[in-house]
Amino acid sequence: MVESKHQWKAWLYLSPAIILLLVFTVWPIINTVAMAFQNNYTAGLGTAKGVKIAYEIGVENFVNVLQYENFGQILKNTMLLCVATVPISTVLALLIAVALNSIRPLQKFLQTIFFLPYVTNSIAIGMVFAAMFNIIGLREGNTVADTWGIINNAIMLFGGKPINWINQGSTYWANMVVMIVYIVWNALPFKILVLLGGLQSINKQYYEAARVDGTSRRRILTRITVPLLSPMIAYVVITGFIGGFKEYSSIVGIFGDTMGPKSEPGRLNTMVGFIYDSLNAGTIGAQGKASAAALLLFGIILVVTMINLQVSKKRVHY
Amino acid sequence: MENKNMKTLTAKDLQQVSTASRVMGILVKIGTYAFLIAMALIVLFPFYWMIISSLKSTAEYRRNIPTFWPEQFVFANYAQAFEEGNLWQLFKNTAFVGVVSTILSLVITILSAFAFARLEFKGKDLMFGALLATMMIPGELFTITNYLTVTNLKWIDTFAALIVPFLVSVFYIYLLKQNFMQIPNELYLAAKVDGTSDLKYLWKVMIPLALPTLISITILKMMGAWNSYIWPKLVTKKESMMLVTNGLRNAFTSVDGQANIPVQMAAVAIVSAPLFMVFLFLRKYIMAGVSRSGIKG
Amino acid sequence: MKVVLQNLTKIFPSRDKKAGGEVVAVNDFTFEIPDGKLIGLLGPSGCGKSTTLYMISGLQKPTSGKIFFGDDDVTELATENRGIGLVFQNYALYPHMTVKQNIMFPLENLKGADKMSKDQMLERAYEAAKLVQIDELMDRKPSELSGGQQQRVAIARALVKMPRVLLLDEPLSNLDARLRLQTREEIRRIQKETGITTVFVTHDQEEAMSISDMIVVMKLGVLQQIGKPQDVYDDPVNLFVAKFLGTPPINVLEGEIKGGKICIGGAAVLDAPGVADQEVFIGIRPEGFELDENSALECKLSNVEVMGRDVSIVSTHENSLNPVIRSIIDADNKVDVTAQTVRYNIKPHKLFVFNKETEERIYF
Repeated sequence: MVESKHQWKAWLYLSPAIILLLVFTVWPIINTVAMAFQNNYTAGLGTAKGVKIAYEIGVENFVNVLQYENFGQILKNTMLLCVATVPISTVLALLIAVALNSIRPLQKFLQTIFFLPYVTNSIAIGMVFAAMFNIIGLREGNTVADTWGIINNAIMLFGGKPINWINQGSTYWANMVVMIVYIVWNALPFKILVLLGGLQSINKQYYEAARVDGTSRRRILTRITVPLLSPMIAYVVITGFIGGFKEYSSIVGIFGDTMGPKSEPGRLNTMVGFIYDSLNAGTIGAQGKASAAALLLFGIILVVTMINLQVSKKRVHY
Repeated sequence: MENKNMKTLTAKDLQQVSTASRVMGILVKIGTYAFLIAMALIVLFPFYWMIISSLKSTAEYRRNIPTFWPEQFVFANYAQAFEEGNLWQLFKNTAFVGVVSTILSLVITILSAFAFARLEFKGKDLMFGALLATMMIPGELFTITNYLTVTNLKWIDTFAALIVPFLVSVFYIYLLKQNFMQIPNELYLAAKVDGTSDLKYLWKVMIPLALPTLISITILKMMGAWNSYIWPKLVTKKESMMLVTNGLRNAFTSVDGQANIPVQMAAVAIVSAPLFMVFLFLRKYIMAGVSRSGIKG
Repeated sequence: MKVVLQNLTKIFPSRDKKAGGEVVAVNDFTFEIPDGKLIGLLGPSGCGKSTTLYMISGLQKPTSGKIFFGDDDVTELATENRGIGLVFQNYALYPHMTVKQNIMFPLENLKGADKMSKDQMLERAYEAAKLVQIDELMDRKPSELSGGQQQRVAIARALVKMPRVLLLDEPLSNLDARLRLQTREEIRRIQKETGITTVFVTHDQEEAMSISDMIVVMKLGVLQQIGKPQDVYDDPVNLFVAKFLGTPPINVLEGEIKGGKICIGGAAVLDAPGVADQEVFIGIRPEGFELDENSALECKLSNVEVMGRDVSIVSTHENSLNPVIRSIIDADNKVDVTAQTVRYNIKPHKLFVFNKETEERIYF
């Protein structure tokens, strides 16, 4: 290899990355943990102004987070979104990927279409979804509407009743359905891309061998394709859960910063939303509380990922 | 094991079996295409709805029975969106942040990846392991302290706050290092024998060879600037400093009531257009980069 | 089950789309594989032997021609209904299943009246495993097996549903030299025990010769010769077949027919009555030489290799197409190693004459 007298050169090349990482990655990890465990932490801003406050070490921040009246709701929202969207989007992506892999003409074209949602701004397209579910010109008393929005139009076309999806007076479950639809739509492209890549790398001879043995299409899917694809499936499920627990901007996209219909602000708030709310509140102990919430989120993600890995160890063939 | 031959099929049986399996095959093909096309339409529908809505008049949009093609194209919606959303300013800010952070980030990434891939130094493996370890920690954990840091640095409402904290991506360093390692070390040694400097070698040999990865990184980084929402919202208070996503959400935020949805859709279409353009031309690089990263933006 | 190929042809569109055109992988094959025999499809790479095998299996459809199993026309029949067992070159064992699961997999696919109970399937799987002597390894994953063991699992998987025809694609190519010898005996034994008509593809003539009941020699999609290995070796129809079979390979020299005599560089070596005067290629098997000081054919002696039972004499001749002429004679013969030249007599049935243009055999 290269002579070691040029060691300083390596460090020179690495220095910009190291300095930036120290300031914006390593220090935040230390500081966030420190803040989380200091009661009544009021930001380094205080010391900058020359005001010295004696901090007390403790778990008050965590207690505050857990005792926050809406914390249960926030956790419920986050969990629900994860538990609903990850399986739906994974199964759908798997079906689409398998179907795509089985065709020749139009394959590239359709693949490109399925990837399109990825190259969009999740806030911007969230506004489109909001428009599609929106009831415009709703007057007092939920009675008169100029239009029901395209989704309700479609429902009515098939003889259903229009639903107030996201406007004032809408139900929690209606809101949730909209969020799930949007998040699944958003999550599909990445999953399809990864799964299709996995499918294309499976040796064709396994399928020829299965054909010789007269294996039915369903059995080929369940006994050969899925097991051979299991590492990829585990990958999209795990990253899906991690992303799901950090869900935030898709909700902002549809509901705006209110994180819920105007009449029920914060009803759809998530863990990440809670962290930023705490941070923005600017009250005493805000940063400490935000840090505690961030650590809690990290803890949850860690535990869920561990469980995922544990499950996949049994199920996944590598 | 004795050879019990399968029962001998008659010619008629054979004909039936093969016809049945062929019909089945065709049905499955048709079903597959039907499913894919239906899903593709669902995926595409929001884009279609965005575009036709952006061209309708408010009155037409609010009609009880929707029209699927604007009766009259109201291009004025786009002009109005530009103005109301202050989109030009947002575009300029976003483009500036995107370009500057991409260039700086590329320089830092290339230098680091080169050091890890080609140079020998004490603590290299430990250092690289430590870098990879930081990838496991969710970004939300950094945001709080980083917000305090930029506040203390008096960077609120400056481009520095939007650019500097996210210049280093461990993942990109990792990606590029792997790519650099595939380039035979003999090339580097040969260059050393010829007295080529490290930087010249990097520029003349490694960068051209790793170009696809670099393009992927560039695009993902630009997409990141275009799509970022949380951090810019924290560190920009003045409208003149906002990035496109924040500005968009701010300017057209009303969900209920009388929001002028056609104009809003026009704004969304304008904001979405640049990424679509990039995607159409550089599809290959984007898809390659994304399938390896799993990180949006 | 006898297998008949009738005017079988397979044409692939050319890979280079711009150039257009097409590749004839298999050109108008007609032959019959008798029931219960082991057949080797033999030829250099690209001769269409794998394509032929895949058409018999049904994985590829012939462009024209017909395939019969017994009296059944199976040309249009889907793979799964043909009742064949196929062993792939790289075995294609499902990596996520154990050996047992791999072997049982084909049985689990059976439907209707053929459906089996779990116990029946296990019994059959163990029966097949015993036949290939891997019944000790049933709970391992393929990745925990050696190449030879994987090969056996693949054969067991192909045999477990008692196929009418067993097809093996380059069964020995992924094994090392020692295992190859052992495995080919094994294939022979299994085929004999089961009596299943078996077709295997190989590019290794020694492999094909050693175990086949019949070999089919192919070149560039065209059938060259079919017959018992020894018959084909002793009586090749053209220069290609003569050159392709035999180790060490046949010696080929330029020569001519002159007045009913076969001459090499002016030296008349044999009589060929009734053959018109012409320039020819002459092929002489290594074992076709006899030392004879009075003979007309003189070669420059370059080396003598003693191999115990035999002696291999390496010599050169200006008319030889190969760099050297290699002859194998009995070790009882005394060879003067210091001599400059060596003179040979040729055994008539070890010498073949081929037309110089068509390379077809000229009989005499």
